[in-house]
Amino acid sequence: MSKPIRIALTKGRLEKDTIGLLEKSGFDCTAVREKGRKLILPIKDINAEVVLAKANDVITYVEHGVCDIGIVGKDTIMEMSGKFFEMVDLGFGRCKFALAVKKGTDFYAGYGVKTIATKYPNITRNYFESKGMDVDIVKIEGSVELAPLLELSNGIVDIVETGTTLKENGLEVIEDIAPISARLIVNTVSMKLRQKEIENLIKIIEENLQLC
Amino acid sequence: MKINDLITPEGTKDLLFNECITRQNIENKIHAIFKSGGYSELITPCIEFYDVFTHNSSHFSQEKLFKLMDCKGRILVLRPDNTVPIARIVATRLKDAVLPMRLYYNQCVFNMAPSLKGKSAQVVQTGIELIGSSSKMADLEVISTAINVLSSCGNGDYSLEIGDIRFFQELVRKLEVSDEEKETIRNYIKAKNYPALNDFLDNIGDNQVIQALKRLPGLFGGEEVFGKASQLFSDEKIDTILSDLKELYNKISKIAGKGKITVDLGMVNKTDYYTGVIIRGYLEGYGEEVLSGGRYDKLIADFGYDIPATGFAVNVDAVMSVEMKKNSLTDKSIDAIIYAENGFEIEALHAANKLRQEGSTAELSLFETLEETIAYAKAKNIAKIIKVNEIVTEVE
Repeated sequence: MSKPIRIALTKGRLEKDTIGLLEKSGFDCTAVREKGRKLILPIKDINAEVVLAKANDVITYVEHGVCDIGIVGKDTIMEMSGKFFEMVDLGFGRCKFALAVKKGTDFYAGYGVKTIATKYPNITRNYFESKGMDVDIVKIEGSVELAPLLELSNGIVDIVETGTTLKENGLEVIEDIAPISARLIVNTVSMKLRQKEIENLIKIIEENLQLC
Repeated sequence: MKINDLITPEGTKDLLFNECITRQNIENKIHAIFKSGGYSELITPCIEFYDVFTHNSSHFSQEKLFKLMDCKGRILVLRPDNTVPIARIVATRLKDAVLPMRLYYNQCVFNMAPSLKGKSAQVVQTGIELIGSSSKMADLEVISTAINVLSSCGNGDYSLEIGDIRFFQELVRKLEVSDEEKETIRNYIKAKNYPALNDFLDNIGDNQVIQALKRLPGLFGGEEVFGKASQLFSDEKIDTILSDLKELYNKISKIAGKGKITVDLGMVNKTDYYTGVIIRGYLEGYGEEVLSGGRYDKLIADFGYDIPATGFAVNVDAVMSVEMKKNSLTDKSIDAIIYAENGFEIEALHAANKLRQEGSTAELSLFETLEETIAYAKAKNIAKIIKVNEIVTEVE
């Protein structure tokens, strides 16, 4: 049997949704469900194995070709960018990037250069560059909502799912930047050298997506 | 205070011993293929004027260039590409040369590597340029040379992909959209990003061209691709492009054997640079292409000499990383060490030279005593120890 197709899977919520999808597609993912501390896990019924990784690492592994396929959020793809094929919108893990400010403030008022706090500096820079606007970007690792409250920044760029956290902290979305959902990405060389296997797998996944 | 004196800049590395040998072997075997095909070598400077790389059909983004200043304040760059400087030479010093010209090169290119991604900023490329012919035979020659190169690299487990940039260009030309929008479409097709491509094209409208563009990222694989492509859209130009490409595909499939050659009509990189058939080569065990090239009929015209050309470049470092995985050569040890007793230094030199002429490798011992020489030979795994005084004797 040839080398198994290696699928890099983002740990956490996307992991659960993807395993659900794979199981619905008829693959036995017991090993992944009962993983313990293992990081490389076989999938039965198909010549494939799953690698569990953090979102950014999924892209790195696929780009370098040590994993053939990756499941990762569009947010990470936009922030990291890179060279791979982005083949399928899996539809789950849906949310959006948005610009939010303290409720009732006018973000664009005045001449001063605005400060934006975010976990996603590249997306923020690209967004404001596309508007032809200079902003100061401050990278925050934890709860970004704090920055405008502490008056470190005029606004934040962050992932918004339901908007509850924003509301509870007196912030509101003023602009949507981009929608986000989970994507299936493929290494450019794997796609060419293992076309049949990967196309088959994608076809099965797509068929079961439509059933969802 | 010095803080960077013990390391090399990000994206660069030192090569030691076996790595040098492996790289040299790869270069030698590839150059033998080039030379036997009548190609002659060119060497261009590492540093060029920035202006060389800012022409219409070969625009290199500022962010990726290593820049310097010369003594007059003009901007210089470390060359990011080998074909463009060669185009410069062809349009100047080789303007009166007999055509076609067959040229090859083997030199580094420099591109700023993104931080912490494990990518190289300095890459050795070797490649050919066949200049002054737009014939199908020229395309065939370049591609068959690429096949010879790929099949000699790694363990021969390669795949060569062909496409024609004009298929995409012709389709997208029929759309009434701005250049920026065309660029967006191109980028989505390049990344085989079906979701974004579909959304974007749906907003433009719906007609046969748009349906064809939507399917373009999936138009890759074997011979069946030509059938699928011809069903998507048909007019005189597109039919000619497809039938020419199919003819080429059939010819090179005969040279390379089954399964080695694939087609990808969704290969749409560097559209302003390439003007016709494009190729890409892959080796098992490397996550990116190791060979890329194609026809670039407009590039030399940017330098004032309007002639067609085609060629390809091989990423020697990539081939090297594949071959280093395959054969983990152990460092080759020296055959013999010559120890001279006091006053017999010249005789020792003669003895060493004699061995070297016979084809062995021989080192001179720089130690005072035979004991130290023996200990050193043991540590370096040198099989033969030779002592020179009145006579030449081998020490056990």
